[in-house]
Amino acid sequence: MSLERIKIAPEMYEIMPPEYQDLVKNATYGNENRGWKDIGTSKELIEEHSLCAGCPESMAFRYILASLPAPEDTVMVGSTGCTSLVFPHVGIHNIHSLFGNQNAIATGLKRALTVRFPGRIKDVVVLAGDGATVDIGLDMTLQAWFRQEKFTTICFDNELYANTGGQESGLMQKGFVAKMAPVGKTFEKVRLPEIARESGCHYVVNCTVSKPNLIEKVIKNAIHIAREIGPTYLQLYTPCILEIGKNSMEGLQEMRDSEKPTERFAYREYISDQAKELLTEMAAKEKERKAEAKRQLASVKA
Amino acid sequence: MATQSSVGEKNKAGQTITDPWQMMHDAERTPCFFTGSEVIKEALRRANCDIMIAYPITPQSEAAALAGELFAEGFIGDYFRGESEFAVMSQCAGAAFGGARVFTTTAGPGTMRAMENFPMWAGARLPIQMIVTCRGINSPLSIQPDTLEISYLLNTGMLVWHAETAQDFYDWILKGYMVSEEPDVHLPLALCCDGFFVTHTKDMVSLTPADMCLPPYDPYRSPVPCMDMECPPVRMMRDPFIMKSNYISYATHASWQQEVWAAVERSRKHTVRWLDGLIEVENPGAEILLVSSGTAVSQGREAKVLLEEEGIDVGIVKIKSLRPWPGEEIREATKNAKHIIVPEFNVTGWMAREIKATIPNSERVYAGPRVCGGMTLPPEIIAADIKTLLGIKNKALAGRGS
Amino acid sequence: MSTSYQVLRGPEHFLPPAAASMGIRLPDPGQGHIHGKIVSEEEAMEAAARQFLSAKVPTIFPGPLVLWAWNEKAAHKATAVRHLYETLKASVTSTQQAMLIPMPDYRPKYPKINPEVEINPNHPNLTIWHNKIDACMFVGVHCHQANLSLKIIRGGTDCYTIAMCAQAGHEDAMLSFRDATAEKIMRLADWVKKLKGSVEPPK
Repeated sequence: MSLERIKIAPEMYEIMPPEYQDLVKNATYGNENRGWKDIGTSKELIEEHSLCAGCPESMAFRYILASLPAPEDTVMVGSTGCTSLVFPHVGIHNIHSLFGNQNAIATGLKRALTVRFPGRIKDVVVLAGDGATVDIGLDMTLQAWFRQEKFTTICFDNELYANTGGQESGLMQKGFVAKMAPVGKTFEKVRLPEIARESGCHYVVNCTVSKPNLIEKVIKNAIHIAREIGPTYLQLYTPCILEIGKNSMEGLQEMRDSEKPTERFAYREYISDQAKELLTEMAAKEKERKAEAKRQLASVKA
Repeated sequence: MATQSSVGEKNKAGQTITDPWQMMHDAERTPCFFTGSEVIKEALRRANCDIMIAYPITPQSEAAALAGELFAEGFIGDYFRGESEFAVMSQCAGAAFGGARVFTTTAGPGTMRAMENFPMWAGARLPIQMIVTCRGINSPLSIQPDTLEISYLLNTGMLVWHAETAQDFYDWILKGYMVSEEPDVHLPLALCCDGFFVTHTKDMVSLTPADMCLPPYDPYRSPVPCMDMECPPVRMMRDPFIMKSNYISYATHASWQQEVWAAVERSRKHTVRWLDGLIEVENPGAEILLVSSGTAVSQGREAKVLLEEEGIDVGIVKIKSLRPWPGEEIREATKNAKHIIVPEFNVTGWMAREIKATIPNSERVYAGPRVCGGMTLPPEIIAADIKTLLGIKNKALAGRGS
Repeated sequence: MSTSYQVLRGPEHFLPPAAASMGIRLPDPGQGHIHGKIVSEEEAMEAAARQFLSAKVPTIFPGPLVLWAWNEKAAHKATAVRHLYETLKASVTSTQQAMLIPMPDYRPKYPKINPEVEINPNHPNLTIWHNKIDACMFVGVHCHQANLSLKIIRGGTDCYTIAMCAQAGHEDAMLSFRDATAEKIMRLADWVKKLKGSVEPPK
């Protein structure tokens, strides 16, 4: 929300539940230095959720929400699945409407916000599972990229349909035995990062969510590039520990094992020339901003 | 509901934002000879619309393309072609969730392809306006007029109106926003017409001045929060699942559904005011009444003339709004009728079923004549069926003859 | 549509109907409704004040539109709602307990909310039951969510419901105002003050 609107009416402050008092006092809306390191020292934008204990998706959610560059002016779009159990509790306006139509919703939303708030930042971020992104919603995923819609698409890739109980998905590995793949999946994992690049995305990253600093970097890059240039895509491995037979404590190791250089979630990125220019420009500005802050600090001390 | 505070100001296209009642009732009208598609464009020009999303399908392609011209001329905030009707209707939803006034058009198989969106639109209280230029939906493919698709829209929770003429179309597009955007209604509107008969024929239509437009939509009067991060609550999902396995969750979902249909009911008051009633009755005292909607009414009017030449007195009931359904009005209008004839352009006769479920002594309803698949419905056929019903011998109108 | 249906204190039914579907119509500007019958706004004011003063636990449920100072109008309304609550508190007897409980958001909270500190539109009955609330007023709740709450309360509890609506009013409440402003909320406080001592408190 425009920052100035996230303010409890003074007469109502004392009756608001503590989590809202905390939200207005200690959340990092409007803080341009916000990032994953705020977790633990500030009020997070995620309040509570009913994901399984140890689910890597909850880690991913927390890192992403901590890393959004302008949560006070961001609207998120989800789809049907485990993420829908989290979204009601997120301190950012967000939309669920149908299974798989998230990139179509985001298209209309982004255009509406552009018409209504010309010249203002209004980031739109899609966050959906692999069934929604690659199977039922693939048409709308790709078409949004073809049209160069200016929003970020994040796919939580857990390589199956988790919320419905572990059925085969297009991003599942070949040979994996699952519900609806009783003799093992017969075709390869869909190569969506490559397809994203060919479809016009300006920034594509394929990785796990084992490293919060990396997630912060790719989220910020993806959103800034989408805001200024065009579509961006992040495919993040968030294994469903329940459906692959792991324990609550084993999610992180599963991600680490899957990001080794020869594995399917080894870090891969693609950046278009235009996006490279923007990132270079942003890095220079950031350097200048930090140097200026240092100079100011020094002058205060002097 | 549109905000009134901007009346007198100019919009981005330089039109004067006008009090809608004054614009529709008092402003000087100019007669024009236009096709239905051109009329859609002219209504949209004055609708102060934020976003129109298009997809080609006959017979609405021309209207959808003409809306693009309006965008190029600066009368619509944004416009693009989506990839399918399912996607288009979701894109419309996204735009409406974001607080925009939204317009789209579709037809036949497109309506069916997009169907999953419509109860979602209604459940999410999105006041999107969708023009439906009805055509055949079943295999084998037909682009010709057929109103079967309307019956599928009747239980979506959308408002459903059925325009008879291009003039209806022009007025109702503009009035439609005024009804559907009311905060106590705030539902999508399917504004239907019979494809080709209305879209592709030319008719005299009286237009309001082109330099006047409706007030803009105010999303902050919506009965649900707009998703733009400009209004509370900040912790808000549109719309969270309500399906925890217990009684109260089910009761919440049930109440939500009831609230959608309550909003349809609330639209009655506004619809009656803007459309001057949900039905229109001509010659109410007649013992024989032709009751229907859309082009079937026009054909009924012609049949009435034929029958009058033979001294048979016939009345007409034109149903303008199908949702909300004018049950009480139909009961009142038909209370003295001995024969209620329901001509239709579809194979199932959904209109006759609706009417039978509404009135006492439903054996008075003659469910026909019906045509479909693009056939015309000659007034002579309607007149002949009525005469048969009355026990009057007809000459053979079709067939091998004797 | 003529109707014999009345919007009365519940518990009404396993699944009560939406009042609009039973033929109850919303008031026009300047009007209110009581049990579905259109009355003047002043009549509704007096009746609402009487309901508050004759309840054991008269409660105001402010929603997000007044809990957050998201524009000037909202901030003024919050001041007015607080004033109404303070007036109510000062006007009831020692056997009565006035409450101010927020509806901070609309998300379904599982496994359950804390009914002492909040009310939720998906199971408002929990807050009503827990605090033994017998008269309540919604203000600043989005109309859709207010109607869900009002209907669920009518269905399963015996609480008297009042809606101070900023739009067209609520036929699912037993008593409803429309076009609420800070001034209108203040006027209701004036009515409470005026009737203080003249309404028999609950036994």
